[in-house]
Amino acid sequence: MSTTEADITKRFAQHALQTCATFTDEYGMWPCEREAYATPNARTRPTTSLSHPSTDPLSRSVQSHALVRRLEDAGGPTLTRPATSGDSSSVAQLMAVEQDALSRPMMAEAQRPEWHAPWKLMRVISGHLGWVRCISVEPNNKWFATGASDRTIKIWDLASGTLKLTLTGHISSVRGLAVSPRHPYMFSCGEDKMVKCWDLEYNKVIRHYHGHLSGVYSLALHPMLDVLVTAGRDATARVWDMRTKECIHVLTGHQSTIADVKMQEADPQVLTASMDSTIRLWDLAAGKTMAVLTNHKKSVRSLALHPKQFTFASASADGIKQWKCPEGSLLQNLEGKRSIVNTLAVNPDGVLVSGGDDGSLCFWDWNTGYNFQTMDTIAQPGSLSSEAGIFSSTFDQTGLRLLTGEADKTIKIWKEDESATEDTHPMDWRPSLRRRKY
Amino acid sequence: MAQQGYTKGNAPGSALVLRTNDDGEAEYDAIFRQGHAASRTVHAKFKDLIPLRDRADFKTKEGNGLLERPDQDTVQSTAERTRLALEKITQRRVVAAQPTAGQLGTNRQPEYVRYTPKQQGSGHNSGAKQRVVRMVNMPVDPLEPQRFKTKKIPRGPPSPPAPVMHSPPRKPTAEEQKEWFIPPSISNWKNAKGFTIPLDKRLAADARGLQEVQVNDNFAKFADALNAAERHARDGVRQRALQQQKLAQKEKDAKEQHLRLLAQQAREARAGLDTGAGHPGPGTTDGTSASVVQEGSPGGDRKQSYEEREALRRERQQELEREVRLSHTGTEQRAKMLARAQGRDLSEKIALGLAKPTASRESMFDQRLFNMSEGLGSGFKGDDTYSIYDKPLFTGSSSSSIYRPSRNADSDAYGGGSAEKITGMLQQERFEGTTSGFQGTSEGAAPATRDGPVQFEKSTATKPKPSADVFGLDQFLEQAKKSKRDLPEDSVGHSSSKRAR
Repeated sequence: MSTTEADITKRFAQHALQTCATFTDEYGMWPCEREAYATPNARTRPTTSLSHPSTDPLSRSVQSHALVRRLEDAGGPTLTRPATSGDSSSVAQLMAVEQDALSRPMMAEAQRPEWHAPWKLMRVISGHLGWVRCISVEPNNKWFATGASDRTIKIWDLASGTLKLTLTGHISSVRGLAVSPRHPYMFSCGEDKMVKCWDLEYNKVIRHYHGHLSGVYSLALHPMLDVLVTAGRDATARVWDMRTKECIHVLTGHQSTIADVKMQEADPQVLTASMDSTIRLWDLAAGKTMAVLTNHKKSVRSLALHPKQFTFASASADGIKQWKCPEGSLLQNLEGKRSIVNTLAVNPDGVLVSGGDDGSLCFWDWNTGYNFQTMDTIAQPGSLSSEAGIFSSTFDQTGLRLLTGEADKTIKIWKEDESATEDTHPMDWRPSLRRRKY
Repeated sequence: MAQQGYTKGNAPGSALVLRTNDDGEAEYDAIFRQGHAASRTVHAKFKDLIPLRDRADFKTKEGNGLLERPDQDTVQSTAERTRLALEKITQRRVVAAQPTAGQLGTNRQPEYVRYTPKQQGSGHNSGAKQRVVRMVNMPVDPLEPQRFKTKKIPRGPPSPPAPVMHSPPRKPTAEEQKEWFIPPSISNWKNAKGFTIPLDKRLAADARGLQEVQVNDNFAKFADALNAAERHARDGVRQRALQQQKLAQKEKDAKEQHLRLLAQQAREARAGLDTGAGHPGPGTTDGTSASVVQEGSPGGDRKQSYEEREALRRERQQELEREVRLSHTGTEQRAKMLARAQGRDLSEKIALGLAKPTASRESMFDQRLFNMSEGLGSGFKGDDTYSIYDKPLFTGSSSSSIYRPSRNADSDAYGGGSAEKITGMLQQERFEGTTSGFQGTSEGAAPATRDGPVQFEKSTATKPKPSADVFGLDQFLEQAKKSKRDLPEDSVGHSSSKRAR
């Protein structure tokens, strides 16, 4: 007994040291990032030669009643990330040296998770007449758009939560939304097989991307190229050239509906999650599959790319898994409450949120996969108990607000509890000392 | 076709060669790479199943930037490469979509070829040494249908499936199965399978239960105000009624007083008249008996008056006794007695067989609907058939009971009068000097009482008779013939009387 206890205390000492080390790593990276998020207007807008002059928002007419212009000129309240000071790197380095001396090389140690403040409900916005299926926050963090089963896209003010605009045009529920950071465009797709490109300076549809054979369930924009990818019930992902409306690639290979698609700037540039319980990573240039990830047992409904790490997470009814990117090797399994996960979202702090079909909302620490908070949303009064369900979620550009679109036709905004500290809300972390068998 | 994607190592059509890796282990995953590009990632080893974070060397690898995003240069170069590749495809698509002159083949410049035949001579080539041949593209009709049928090329074999990196799905436990049980949805309008639905579930499914009925406060106020007003009005009415009652009482009192005064005066006057002759009789207190006495007194027969008084007394006593008896009987008896007194007791009538039940029911229904070979179900016949009035509306015994009160009819309906009385009343001539019936009709003979609706008879006479037998000749002849044959004596009167019936 005494020997094991001593062993445990030794382990905890190690964990403490490791945690310090990780903190420094985190905050060592922080200041530059912080600057970028604090001044969203100063974000670098990389332009490639694919972008044509008309897409440049600055070259558009100044007097237009555009949503984009108006918002930029208005200078209303914005959410900015508060400055945090992390300047204990030298101490931590010392500790890290000590930790190296103590560590046992052959054992995989359970890493102590980072403490995150608990999240709480801040605001409930009701206005949609159907399930809120998708949410997208504008790059300048002034407004956000939601698409719902009532066939409308609504644009809301992020700071006040007031409705700014309702866009109609889809003839079935809207399933995907994306606001381009490089154009004054918003893209939407829906179960009516339509993919629309909205010009936010005129608030009108200017392009249709025609080609899907069935409902389009997800949509993603390339961060650097003028390319968008849509995927849906016809088990294909289609890559579209934004300007010419040409379908560049039809990414076929999935056996069933593609539930989610994501794009990133480095290979694999396209990731799709499908109801055939596989995830495919695609080579965008060639239009071919790079890898097929078959670890999930049930249909994969959502993907989330980490903003800073080259990793991503996928959610399925049998659990959430994290993957490392270029080759798609399994990073870890997130174990916790089992539910059908509809949506995933990550913020730069490393908080992963999973929204369940039963209205459960789980918060995870990205690095360790520790579930530090589990909540259930409360359906708005007047709705049935079965209408508690989360369909879409996203963090705003600062990562300080979480927006969820729900089955009770509301949008809920969540924020961190500012008053909480590690003392008031201690972490209930119990690592298992058992060796895992594979 | 199928061999297109094969890598260099595998010759098309040949079997895979088993190779070993650096550690000397067989590379079985080559089977998954077959047919794929070399850059394809295939997770097929046991090692790939173990999460990276659970591996011992993860820490060091993470420190070396395992999870870091690619640097800017890589990203830029990737983007550039992708952009070029995509642009190429787009260009090709855009060009292919545009109709070009080359596709139509019209304005290709003609080519000229100098042709020198090998065999020279006047016999050959019509004597020419050389020829210039002008080559022009044959014009193509752009609307010409395809000359060759394009066949769909069968698909090549599919690429090998990715190795499955998870354990086979476990059988769901009973508990899990129970969790997945979704109760059948049951309509509120149809229940074809006849499920039994608890009432509370039905109510819960009804969204009307969610609505909260909001009643305006003013309704309550209005009701209160109405109540108050009503009470107030009733109070007023009662007060007024009291007042009137009092007035009436006062008036009545005054009138009584006046009457009493008059009576007093009259009495005094009478007393003043016959103080000597008057005997104070036993009934003097009573006004009526006093008058009787006074009427009888002039006759002066004392005995007679005494007997009368005695009779009166007896009668009253009997009445009193009866009242006493009545007051001792039970309520039932008294009720019966009362009923008998008012003529409402039927028990005796029933016992005597006088009471009649209500008239037969058959008169209540349209007889035409009974005993029909085809009911209404057979339809209303044709529009053309005029068959509504081919049968009498009421037939049988009911026809007589409708138009005339018969013996069977309930006599109570006619104020207790019997059937004979009513016939009598009907036959009685109420207006003197008038004759029932028209002039020229058989006078004297009362019209035969109808016992049914007026019925028109179909004229059976096919040929018109020359004239009615005015003198009864035919009849007479017939009788004569008959009487000769059948009845020898006094048959004429007999048969005629028979006929008259």
